[in-house]
This record gives sequence, structure tokens and C-alpha cells, in this order.
Amino acid sequence: MDKSTIVCRCEEINVDEIEGAIRMGASTFDDIKRLTRCGMGPCQSKICMNLVRELIANNLGVSISEIPPPRMRMPLKITRLGILAGKTSSSNVVSVFDEASLEAGER
Amino acid sequence: MKTDVLIIGGGPAGLNAAIETASRGIKTIIIEESYALGGQLKQQTQFFNNLPKQFDRQRGIHLMRTLIDRLSPLPVTCLLKHKMIGVYKDGRIGIANDTETFPIDAKKVIVTTGAAEETDLFPGWTLPGVMTVGAAQILINRERVLPGKNALIVGLNSFSAEVTKQLKACGINILGVIDKNVSVNDKKLVDGLEDKKIRVMVNTVIERATGAGEVEKVTINNDGKKEDLDIDLICIGKGLSPILEPLEILDCEFGFQAKLGGLVPKYYSTLGTSNPSVYVAGNAAGITCLGGILVTAEIAALNALKALGVLNDNEAKISSSFLWDELRSMESEESIETFIARVAHIKEFHEECELPLPASFHAILEGC
Repeated sequence: MDKSTIVCRCEEINVDEIEGAIRMGASTFDDIKRLTRCGMGPCQSKICMNLVRELIANNLGVSISEIPPPRMRMPLKITRLGILAGKTSSSNVVSVFDEASLEAGER
Repeated sequence: MKTDVLIIGGGPAGLNAAIETASRGIKTIIIEESYALGGQLKQQTQFFNNLPKQFDRQRGIHLMRTLIDRLSPLPVTCLLKHKMIGVYKDGRIGIANDTETFPIDAKKVIVTTGAAEETDLFPGWTLPGVMTVGAAQILINRERVLPGKNALIVGLNSFSAEVTKQLKACGINILGVIDKNVSVNDKKLVDGLEDKKIRVMVNTVIERATGAGEVEKVTINNDGKKEDLDIDLICIGKGLSPILEPLEILDCEFGFQAKLGGLVPKYYSTLGTSNPSVYVAGNAAGITCLGGILVTAEIAALNALKALGVLNDNEAKISSSFLWDELRSMESEESIETFIARVAHIKEFHEECELPLPASFHAILEGC
């Protein structure tokens, strides 16, 4: 396999970078994540999880069943901070307009 | 918000579980991430013959209608465009929609999150025009958009074969269905495709896909023999794996069962997990057929009802042995290996917890 093949498409991490991390001692998805940012993009490792587990298993010569999944963190899905904090409305577009009107002196 | 039963995911398993709990008058809430109930049934236009006896043979999209119609007169709250984002310290489930985050206090949670499609690693797999078979099916049946004109399908299984036929029926030229395995166990699948003049190649992998801005060419390797194909669509049908995030955040333990799709939550014969208030059903409890999805939902709902004191032991016992028989018949129709792996998975967890299997389960074990 071409070593420049992308594995984590969110963070654009390729096979070479993941195998490099494994050579540095990474043996779990979380190790790879900390070393390369693999799995830290918008999909939160939903797409690359098993691709990476398979690469680790193949490189270390163990079964994929021995490679644990990454640790899940809350929030489980993409959530606006304003919604988490309890704000009733939180649209980026509105806030941009708000700032523009503030600058124009419409206080 | 308070409820007796909270169901995470409004696909076939979630809907069928809700029908069971709500028809007993139990307060039930379904959380569904998308804009409508039905899950992946929304684009399943194919017929399903192998369904539990309360359902006629019908298309997936019709089954979705049937389930929603049976559910609508019942005391169920369906929260669409709501997602589970976590768990509060006191065990309440954290739900978010477009405007707010709030807790739901549920006595029992049934996780019916379904499964996600696996992708395949080859140079060029991130190019536009490369997608899963499920994505291609959404495009043709739901969005009414042709995903391409000349397609290569990677991975042969009953779902990819079905979608391949649907793509061909839409006028897409199928250049071949390839599979890395040397032989395909299911000869009927191969015959079904070859009858439609679709080329099936085993022992074949993708070397690379290339194109400027989108996929235009693919090189396949058939046992050392390379071939270039001009295509604008590659559909990956590598199979499914259970969606586990909510179970993980609910502190459920996992085990590995290759035949159930890899990592699967550990569960008892009740489909209860290591978290006493959490049950699991459908593809989230191990990849199965639609019949298996519907029956596991009934088993989980039944045991949640029993735990809530709605059903007495005897009622639960009779229904449970009936449902396990039905599950065996559903799963053996498609692949008995799924049922054997499921039973082994349950047995392992019972042994680990030193909890004897119910007497009715011994007959099932002997049958395997």
C-alpha cells in the first residue's frame, strides 16, 4: 500500500504517519491520536476507527480483537457550546451581525 | 423530562421496541437524530421475506410505514432531531437539539443505535465518487440522484449485491463486483448477479483509484493480474459494525465477536448489558438481518417490561422462549453463524458473571 494513503480524512493523517507512531511505541488508537491528531476531527474517529485498529493489529502482528476502541468523550455528537451552556439561541450568523451593528454604533 | 423507557434511535429496532413497551401503557420516549423515524428503512426499497409473524412480506419502506402506523396511537413521545450527547453524573441521559441541552430521567434505556458501514483503505479512497453502498442507495432511492454512470462495487455480501442490482436498474453500468476473498460462500449471491450480466471477481482488490478532483480510473488486481477500468463511482460494501458510543458512555462492557461485527456490548439472555438499566437491541447488539433486528427489539423490550414489574415472571418466560425460537429461525434463514455467535456471546457473559442461564436457554444451547 502507498504510504501516503490517507487514513483519517478529517485530520489528513496518512498510513506513514500512523506507522511512524506505531514505531514510536503506539499500540492503541488513543496512543496514535495523541501523537498524530488522528481521529480528532469533526467525525471523531467514526470513519477511521477500524482502519486504524486494523493497521495497528497488522503492524504489531496481533488480532484486531486485542486493539481497544478510542476513549469516547462527551459531547458524543457535534454540539454548539452555546447549547451546552444553556443559551437559548446560538447562531454564528446572528452574532456576526450583532458585532457589525455594535461597531456601527447602534447600541 | 421523566419516562419509564427511553429508546435511543428510531430505526426498525427502536420503533419495534417502542411498540412493545407503549402497547403495555408504559411511558416511552424515542430519541431520533434525523428528521424522521425509520432509520435505514427510509431507502430500503427491496422486499424482505424473512420477518416476524406479525409482519407480512413487504418492502423496507412499507415496513417503516407499518411500524410508524402501529406506534402512532400509542403513548410514545418521539423527539426528532434530538441526539444523545452524554450522561449526567446522576445517570440521567443528556439530550441536545438545535436550541437546548436537557436531561431525561429514564428507568430503563434501550439502545437501538444500529450500525455504521465500514470503509476500505486504498490509495484514492477519499476521492469524490467513492462512497459506501448504503450512501449510493440513499442517493438513488431517497435523493433521486444518480451517483455515477460507470461503477465498480467492492465487497460482496447480500446488501452490496442488492444495492448493485438497484444501481443497475437505475441505468448505471456496473463494471464488476470484486471481493478480496478467494471464494464466496454464498453461491446464490454470485448467481443472482451473474444472471443480471454483472461480472463478479473474487480474489480481487483495488490497487489504486485516481482522478482529477473526482474518481476517474481504478486499477484492480486479480490474483496478480492488473486491469484498469474507467469508472466514476466506487461503492464500498465492506459490511457493518455496531454503533457503540452511547453504550460506551453508559459504562457498558464490550466483547469481541467477529461474526457479530467486531466489538459488541456484552449482554445477558435478557439483552440487558453490564449497566443494569441499559438494554441493547437491533444491529447495535450484533449485526443481523432485518428479522433479527425486529425480534431482538422485542426481547429487550420484554425484559425491560419485566424489570419494571409490568410483566410477571411466567408471562415473560413464555414470551421469551417464543421470541428466542423466532430469532433462531430468522437468523438461520440468513446465516446461522450469527445466531451461534450471539448465543456464544451471551453464554460467555453469563459465565463471566457466574450467573446461570435461564432453563429455557439450555434447549437453545443444545440446538447450536
